Amino acid sequence: MADHIAVHRSGLTMPVVTPRFIDNAWRRGCDFINMDLEDSVPEHMKGYARTLIKDAITNVTKGGAEAFTRINHDLVLADLEGIIWPGLTKVNYPKAEYGEEIQLLDRIISRLEQERGIRPGTVEIGADIETSVGVANAYDIAAASPRVREFGGASGYDMSRDLGVEMFVGFDQFVYGKGEVELAARALGLEPHTAPFTANTTGSVGDPDRAFREAEAARKCGFRVGGGLHPNVVEPQTRGFTPTQEEVDEAHQILEQYRQLEVSGETWAETDGNIIDRYEAARARKLLDWSELCAARDQEKAEAFARVEAAAA
Amino acid sequence: MAPASQPERAVAAPKSNTDVVLLDLVEFVAEQDKPSAREGLVEIVRQVRESGTDVFALVDSELLYADLHACICPELTGVVVSHLESVAQVEEADSLISKLEDERGIPPGTLEMVLSLDTAQAAQDAFEIASASRRITGLTLGRAELVMDLRPEPSGEIHLMQYLMQKLITVAGAIGVPAYGAWWRTPDRGLLATPENTGEAALRGRAIGFKGSFCVLENQVAPMNQGFTPGAQEATEAGKSLESYRAAVSEGTASIRQGDRIIDSGTALQARLLIDRAAACEAHDKAKVDALAGRPVPAP
Repeated sequence: MADHIAVHRSGLTMPVVTPRFIDNAWRRGCDFINMDLEDSVPEHMKGYARTLIKDAITNVTKGGAEAFTRINHDLVLADLEGIIWPGLTKVNYPKAEYGEEIQLLDRIISRLEQERGIRPGTVEIGADIETSVGVANAYDIAAASPRVREFGGASGYDMSRDLGVEMFVGFDQFVYGKGEVELAARALGLEPHTAPFTANTTGSVGDPDRAFREAEAARKCGFRVGGGLHPNVVEPQTRGFTPTQEEVDEAHQILEQYRQLEVSGETWAETDGNIIDRYEAARARKLLDWSELCAARDQEKAEAFARVEAAAA
Repeated sequence: MAPASQPERAVAAPKSNTDVVLLDLVEFVAEQDKPSAREGLVEIVRQVRESGTDVFALVDSELLYADLHACICPELTGVVVSHLESVAQVEEADSLISKLEDERGIPPGTLEMVLSLDTAQAAQDAFEIASASRRITGLTLGRAELVMDLRPEPSGEIHLMQYLMQKLITVAGAIGVPAYGAWWRTPDRGLLATPENTGEAALRGRAIGFKGSFCVLENQVAPMNQGFTPGAQEATEAGKSLESYRAAVSEGTASIRQGDRIIDSGTALQARLLIDRAAACEAHDKAKVDALAGRPVPAP
């Protein structure tokens, strides 16, 4: 079980070797920036890319975002040696297939945290399930290290390629794999990183309306983790994953109705077509907690942003 | 499903024409009412059983000792164990039931156990948990959508439920017991739905492989029974399929065309099972009528 609930509503994955992306990342308002060493970095630049991370961490976090890095599946040791520096909070490991891989990552990260003065356990591992083998071993992978705090996958480009299916179709081609991965996350008390199916037959990655609809639908299903590739989706994702004032008011109302219900000795009641019971009360409490965390995170980012602007003035 | 804290409602439940009365100690009984609900439970079991209806008790895996001591008696058909997390809990329940059977003059192994795999851990370890006792006669997801906080998707489906239902039904098939549940959709919630939506959930449930479902409201029983009972038209079609298949076999072929369909040994067997199921439902409905009227009911 995670010690705390992180707020990772919106994030951008970008190649660390493209300076204009990295230099402007802090202005995007993301909850996190995921600096990529994998698919968006050409083979001949992999070594160079690693050397950029240490300075880039400072650069991308100055607006309040967290700094993540996606490493290469087959270059684990070299990549980790290059990226584990103070300020980095998550390593995303693509195409995770076995629990032993995650245990190896954990050991290397633990050593580097110790050597480089980072509080033990700071760096989270994002074990991304992108292959059939990964789906088959999902529970073992998720359980392999306490550094795995959010868990998801079993969809997207790599999974499509692994299964030999089309990525952009009008139905959910990943029902089984996503179910396995989400159930593993829930059974282990991890934050499921998934979303309800919404058809995307165009492959658009920069449509803000679509990003908002997807984030809102995901939040209403209880999910809280976002991320994307295009700056256009940052604000809609942040907004879509944040409870509205109306929902906050409704949650307070539900808790008040539940308190009255408890006094009456009844276990459930119907009010205006809605059921009030302990399950709804638990959900309302969860929503209020999440709303507070989102507000605190937005405040942190606003303050960080203001500091940068003040320093530049 | 009737709260054990409401004896009048529980005792009247067989009049709704339900196949089973599930006396609830978990979901619809307030914490402060549980001790008194347990005290009167055996008497309620006996009264319900007098009407000829099978009686189960819904017990909490976290409160096994108190709940099982409260409900086990010769008239009880079995228990539904909810909020399970592990194989060890099933083994503990089995062991405690055996002890109580022994102490209370019930032949060993009589009491059935239906497992409610309503937590994420139980769904994750479904096969191991469902294989942990020979008493297990059924599996259900119970109120998993609430226990696991699963909410409606834009499509109207309840998130993750299609996966969980198929997993449950597959595991139930693998260990040879029925799966109980219905395919609820928004705005249905926690076994509470209109009669019309209940009927549709039951029809979808039967189509996906469930054999019956629990419900909470009396007006849900009739649509539930109807949804899970093969219709007359289906039985007639199945009869025709069987006749066609027999004719094919007598002519020395393994399959025959019937309309747009091909009838072979597999489809013939499925037709046979549907006809048997329809006959079993009809016989059970008649037995319930006889029991409620006080007439003797033949042994199944």
